[in-house]
Amino acid sequence: MLLNVSEIKESWWLYVMGLGVALFIISGSLYFVISAVKKSKELHMPKEVIKRTIISSISFSILPSIGIFIGVITMAGLLGIPLPWIRLSVIGALHYELMAASIAAEGITLMTLTTQNFVTIAFVMTISILWGPIFTLLFFKKYQQKVINKAATGTSGGFGKILFDAFFIGLILAFFGDAFSKIFQFNIRLVVDGAYVLDELGKPIVDNIPTFVPVIVFFSALFASLVFDLLIKKFQLKWLENFQLAFSMIIGMAVAVFLGMGGIV
Amino acid sequence: MKPSYQDLLHRNGRIFTIIGLVILLGIPIMISIISGVPPQYSAMFGAIITLSILYLPGGIVELTTYSPVLGTSATYLAFITGNLANLKIPCVLNARQLAKTEIGTEENEVVSTLAVAFSSITTIVIMALGVLLLAQLQPVLTNPVLRPAFDWVVPALFGALGYQYFIKNPKIIIVPLVFILLISALMPSFVQGNLSILIIVSAVVSVAWAKLLHTKKMI
Repeated sequence: MLLNVSEIKESWWLYVMGLGVALFIISGSLYFVISAVKKSKELHMPKEVIKRTIISSISFSILPSIGIFIGVITMAGLLGIPLPWIRLSVIGALHYELMAASIAAEGITLMTLTTQNFVTIAFVMTISILWGPIFTLLFFKKYQQKVINKAATGTSGGFGKILFDAFFIGLILAFFGDAFSKIFQFNIRLVVDGAYVLDELGKPIVDNIPTFVPVIVFFSALFASLVFDLLIKKFQLKWLENFQLAFSMIIGMAVAVFLGMGGIV
Repeated sequence: MKPSYQDLLHRNGRIFTIIGLVILLGIPIMISIISGVPPQYSAMFGAIITLSILYLPGGIVELTTYSPVLGTSATYLAFITGNLANLKIPCVLNARQLAKTEIGTEENEVVSTLAVAFSSITTIVIMALGVLLLAQLQPVLTNPVLRPAFDWVVPALFGALGYQYFIKNPKIIIVPLVFILLISALMPSFVQGNLSILIIVSAVVSVAWAKLLHTKKMI
């Protein structure tokens, strides 16, 4: 007997697949951790450096991970819990998954979703985003040997370190640009029950809501980081360094909440 | 001849990627087999082509841009676990700052691998806990008062991280900052729709300006 879509999207076996993906990522990560720790011993790296790397990475990742999980809730209305859980646990992102769903099954809503739509959406979401891992598999080794290794070691007069710092500054400024551009224009596609809402012509309904909030949040977190830096230096609070970024983020995010409570969104 | 350390990392990374691809592709195939319903092939291929046109260049750009930052093992791990620009890259930049390691060194390889691995584990654990405790968490996480916090987690993250890089390199910021302000004000929809391209352009402007300053012995 064929299963209907409501049974499939919340089925126990789909949860088991989600658990399988989670276990794969955790075991793969732990394998890389063990290799890295072994290497750190060969290199006589201080245990303190390893400990700080682990603590800061975990503390730093908690808030963005909660943000990613909210994506599961957003998509759950249309696709249930397990498929969005699987998709957002691996390569993918909320805006990509929503777009994939809307292109794979045009004009889809909770009421019109069929089992075939669900299966098609699962295939499209999975396959279309695999280019990154495929390129990594095929070209990364050659690219690293021919370009990266030379850039890291072959730059003259000590420019190597500056090169990467300049590169990171470019990366961070690009994200600042994304926040800054929203002062002038910020188009939001309306999402209801995990799917884009369409107008009579079948196009997604878009609201333009320019906002200063992301820029204020950016500078609040930047300023908080400065204050934590001063505290760390003045009071020798070495432990605080591991949480400097996480705490600064919390302050930036808290500012967004306060602005929202004051009617500024 | 004994393979180098980097060769070994590539071998392990490739095995991990192949297993990851098989698992990822296996999921829709299993859904189709268990439900007894095939995908709608014409819609599927059309959508894959459309999305690939959008995301294939991003795959190339991300690999060329992020892999120097990530190092060998972390690149393989991050390209399966995803959330590169908004989580894994900043996490590595932060860890590298704390550990004070130089890119291209084996110490940096260790630090970036640990950063990406523990970041991935944290995400997976939070997602699993979220699914397990969904009924209790949903009202809190979807509360309209708290919503702006998670809407703007990325600017908060890059603001916090930006301080550490800006304070140490004030001269390098000037020209790329002016460039970014101009392009964001003049072409906001381009900026928001093509962030991976903007990252490349911004990085090129920043590196070119730094090179000029270095050549003139100003940094």
